[in-house]
Amino acid sequence: MTAALVQAEDISKTFAGVRALDSVRFEVLSGEWIAIMGPSGSGKTTLINILGGLDRPTSGRAIVDGVNVGTLGERELTRYRAEKIGFVFQNFYLVPYLSAVENVMLAQYFHSVADEAEAAESLARVGLKGRLDHLPSQLSGGEQQRVALARALINHPKLILADEPTGNLDEANEQMVLELLQELHRSGHTILLVTHSPEIGRMADRRIELAHGRLMHIVANLT
Amino acid sequence: MFWRILWRLLYASRGRLALAVIAVASGAAVCAALLNLNLDATDKLTREFRVLGANVIISAAQDGDAAATIDAGTMQQIEQLRLPEIVAAAPYLYLSGEADAGANRTAVILAGTWLDEVARMNSWWKVEGNWVSARDSRSDCMIGEEAASRLGLIPGQNVKVVYAGREATLKVAGIVTAGSSEDSQIFIGLPLAQELAGLGERASLIQITARGSATEIEDVIRRLSSALPGVEVRPLRQLAQAEGRLLERIRGLLFGTVILILALSSLGVLAAMAGLALERRRDVGLMKAMGGPVRKIMRFFLAEAMAIGIAGGICGFIVGMALSEWIGERVFSVSITPRLIVLPATLALMVLVSLAGALPLRLLGRVRPSDILRGE
Repeated sequence: MTAALVQAEDISKTFAGVRALDSVRFEVLSGEWIAIMGPSGSGKTTLINILGGLDRPTSGRAIVDGVNVGTLGERELTRYRAEKIGFVFQNFYLVPYLSAVENVMLAQYFHSVADEAEAAESLARVGLKGRLDHLPSQLSGGEQQRVALARALINHPKLILADEPTGNLDEANEQMVLELLQELHRSGHTILLVTHSPEIGRMADRRIELAHGRLMHIVANLT
Repeated sequence: MFWRILWRLLYASRGRLALAVIAVASGAAVCAALLNLNLDATDKLTREFRVLGANVIISAAQDGDAAATIDAGTMQQIEQLRLPEIVAAAPYLYLSGEADAGANRTAVILAGTWLDEVARMNSWWKVEGNWVSARDSRSDCMIGEEAASRLGLIPGQNVKVVYAGREATLKVAGIVTAGSSEDSQIFIGLPLAQELAGLGERASLIQITARGSATEIEDVIRRLSSALPGVEVRPLRQLAQAEGRLLERIRGLLFGTVILILALSSLGVLAAMAGLALERRRDVGLMKAMGGPVRKIMRFFLAEAMAIGIAGGICGFIVGMALSEWIGERVFSVSITPRLIVLPATLALMVLVSLAGALPLRLLGRVRPSDILRGE
């Protein structure tokens, strides 16, 4: 039996009196691809942020790889993000004055030691072998997102948290990024992906649907 | 990786950072100039002050006889001591005599001395005509401007000096303006004064111009006192204290200006860094989200601030050395030598200024990554 990598136990989050998450409870098994869906303001990003150690739950527990994220101190949270989480954002969030390879190396540097050869290899795996020294402004949206993916994977995280990673991409680039995610899934990575797209949602093993901060459904996709 | 990212940071913000470097360099130039002036000019001004007349007096031991004289041979003993601090020394024999310029005759103080030394000890005197270069001249004299005025004398004319029924006629080589009692005296050669007085090789006192700090001069006095028993060696306190006060004021002014400049430079850096901090907010939030420890992230920005301080400090030092030479010549009329010790001092001050001015960047450590990722 595969162990649960993520356990969301009645997670609630309130911002200035507004309840963004309301007793959300689910589990994610290691190697699963979960799509988190729901309308804007339903709490998808808040949930991702709590699981990624960027926010703390107001109540409930977020346990990832046996660690109760909400109880960690600032330094432990930083270490947790560096070691266990790989983030991919809709807006790519690359450091604009660092080249593609340096953006990947930065994640290595925060984790342990920067290794340019390894960073270059990870970029080659996402099809950017010839773009190592390009600045983000010299790359297309799809290329930037692939750099972000390489950066998210470089430290071999336990969990990949992707917040609408194809939201800013054209169809061709969206397809390329989705293929990379499918490849990651096949190689055993655990992925939680926020999306509005039903098509992308159907690619996942299961869909978690949120509305007004509440978990409405967990739907298993038929493969 | 650290240096690679630092270089990228510096290169990416080169325009804004150049402004900060200019702010630091401007401050560094003034600070380096003033620090160099403080080190070099005050030392040279001390020397300059030392040659503003005598600062040590040797006279007969005080035994109640105001007219007591000393053996002029004491001068030879002083010369044999070969004290390097002594710039000039001259024996003086003062006689209360009379001067006759034909139409005018007046009582006057005759100061018999080594006439060549008078010029060396009182180089700041204003002279109309010429100094007398022959130490024991029996034909020429110098006359104070007040005495010259009373006697109606101009350089080149003759004056008859009279003391105890003995007299000598001398040509006025120059009229001196000292702004003190010397203005009413007539300076004649020491042997002539001794002849007029009929005293033999005696002198009223010896005036010495010594250079060095107050402590060094105290040391000169101590060594002279032990080498010359039976005479009194004392400093001219008034001049030393006035000189000390003036130097203290100059030093205070320099340090006050340095502090003001440092504060203004900090504000200049602060203004440049405030804009930079806004630009960097997103990057810091992202780095923290990636698991970047605050210390590691802040190290980039503090190193950036230090680089500004070092770059500005070096540029400022070069300009400051030129500035100090200019100020030295124009304001203090002394030539200033660049002191290398000013470089590390300037760099240290400028790095501190830059770190103080980089306060907005340090506040970036408080950025919450979730706020940045939410677009706040």
